[in-house]
Amino acid sequence: MPEVIVPIGPHHPALKEPVNFKVIADGEKIIRLDLDLSYSHRGIEKAAEQRDFIRVLPLLERVCGICSHSHTTVFAKGIEELMQLEIPLRAQYVRTIIAELERMHSHLLWLGVAAHEIGFNTLFMWTWRDREAVQDTLEEMSGNRVHYGMNEVGGVRRDLTPEQVNAALARLPQLEERVKKYIDMVNNQKTLLVRFRGIGKLSKEEALKYGAVGPTARASGVDYDARRDDPYLVYADVPWNVVTDTNGDVYGRTRVRIGELMESIRIVRFCLENLPEGQIRVNAPKMHPKEKFFPAMKPPEGSWSISFVQMARTKLNGLIFVRRPLQTGLLLQCVLSIRIWPIYP
Amino acid sequence: MAVPSAGVSQRLVNWARLKSPWVTLFNSGGCNACDIEVIACLMPRFDIERFGILVKGSPRHADIMIVTGHVTLKQASRLRRVWEQIPEPKYVIALGACGASGGVFHGLYHSVNSVDSVIPVDAFAVGCPPRPDEIINAVVTCLNLLKEDIAHGGKEWRQTNGIKNIKNTNEIREATL
Amino acid sequence: MIGPITLDFVKEKIQDIGTAEQVRSNRIRITTTPGHIRDAIKSVQELLSCDRLLTISAADNGKTLELIYHLTGPHRMIISLALELPRDAPEAPTTSDILPPSGIYERQIHDLFGILFQGRSDLKKIILNEDWPENEYPLRKDWTPAPDTFYGGIKGEKV
Repeated sequence: MPEVIVPIGPHHPALKEPVNFKVIADGEKIIRLDLDLSYSHRGIEKAAEQRDFIRVLPLLERVCGICSHSHTTVFAKGIEELMQLEIPLRAQYVRTIIAELERMHSHLLWLGVAAHEIGFNTLFMWTWRDREAVQDTLEEMSGNRVHYGMNEVGGVRRDLTPEQVNAALARLPQLEERVKKYIDMVNNQKTLLVRFRGIGKLSKEEALKYGAVGPTARASGVDYDARRDDPYLVYADVPWNVVTDTNGDVYGRTRVRIGELMESIRIVRFCLENLPEGQIRVNAPKMHPKEKFFPAMKPPEGSWSISFVQMARTKLNGLIFVRRPLQTGLLLQCVLSIRIWPIYP
Repeated sequence: MAVPSAGVSQRLVNWARLKSPWVTLFNSGGCNACDIEVIACLMPRFDIERFGILVKGSPRHADIMIVTGHVTLKQASRLRRVWEQIPEPKYVIALGACGASGGVFHGLYHSVNSVDSVIPVDAFAVGCPPRPDEIINAVVTCLNLLKEDIAHGGKEWRQTNGIKNIKNTNEIREATL
Repeated sequence: MIGPITLDFVKEKIQDIGTAEQVRSNRIRITTTPGHIRDAIKSVQELLSCDRLLTISAADNGKTLELIYHLTGPHRMIISLALELPRDAPEAPTTSDILPPSGIYERQIHDLFGILFQGRSDLKKIILNEDWPENEYPLRKDWTPAPDTFYGGIKGEKV
């Protein structure tokens, strides 16, 4: 039978990042999937080796526009552990606040884009309008809507004034009310239910076997959250819950993300109300620890890791191997969209 | 606003182009922050659709192409091909530090350092990522350029006057006086 | 369900495969050789009940190339299996049949470091563009871009 290659190609209205899925179809049935990545490969690992670690921070921020704070946090955390630096408690709280605000804006973004893909533009407009409240908060605290630049090795760069804290706390109740409305919408709205239920079902065994991370895995029942299981910053001290779901389809993943939104609002409120006094950074020495290291952290889309080997003075002598959850996500996308294991690995 | 010998239909077309430019996005391998800011322009806070600016998927429907992100070697040829598919008159806006010179990724092994070395760029927007206000400013700059191009009957006047890569609408006015 | 994962527990289970050490409170590193890596992964999967691959990382420390597989399981301990490979002929057996996600990582590591994974037929380019010349591995320490080679992009003048 003749086979047709349908390229969901690098430039496509539905795609926000260039990636090429070559879907090979026989009539209406999909037989194979060829994956073509590398459109966004910028060579960040090599650049990070050539710069000293203070200059690596802005570089690592620009790995991804949506989860930029997480990359710098895990890098700074790694270097601080290698140097055996203990950062002050206030700095940890500020990092947690920014990380959770980033998670909130990322989940609202995802919800809007998912609604846009099914044609439900009203939800797209609503969620992104509510996202502007989060962006305003971040802009007041850090100076930029995206790529905040708050982290440095040894703490955070900017402090939070009481006015900023009060302004942020004042925005939270309205956001919470809007999120409750979205929960209600996702559970009851017929358009969403018809398009989300039963699509892209991933069972628990498949999620484990193919290495799913983050909300995708939690929606299939895998109870793993790096914030609870490998705790860093102040997640061990703040009361919050891990959200899981057993559905495993797009509906389950939506429910997990909205649940996480509510939890993030709780965490931000707790941290803002209980912000301890103190310094915001310590001076980092310019020595060279020599060790292998593997810190892990949970940005909004799943666990992410860097591995260092050795440092010489202020430069990284070894490699930072940046693994973005997008890679595993793409493999999973192949599995999900066509229910066949691609010829890919 | 039109060249004296333009007929009614041409004047109508020019008016429609100025009042409602259609835009296409091209992500040439960046970190996505610029794309998010462009989409934030469409959202109720900034809302460029009330100006008639639509974001279309196909390059053949567009007047202005917005190139976001830093051009990687792999995307360079695709960028050229997509640019060639846009019908004249066409304008290109390169967003951010990556579009201007490569940004933080300048000089790396998989990068072409500036959008300008692949396709001719008409406006650069400043920032990393540029705020939605800046992006709207860049689109308005392109519209002013379009107006001048119609008045001069094409794009050649820019080379002779030495205008290239204009960031600010005031500069166009000064240069054409 | 097996008992809690402690360093002694791990040492006794993997005696004939390699040596183990505890690097942090929830990380154990097992150093092994390329010949043993497949058995090591199988025994870690069965005996230590690690069912997830987190990532495979590679590094060039100037003298040798290192390859580390990071696995974890419901016990939340991260077990890292570390290998060292010689620079001039780095080869390791593939693990993509026993551990499916490692397929992507193996292709990427081959593109960037040149480590050959034997036992699989398709190590096509995944992360470098299609015009990238063969046998140039950018993330090795001794690689710099050669001035006359064409690495991809647009040939010729722009419009």
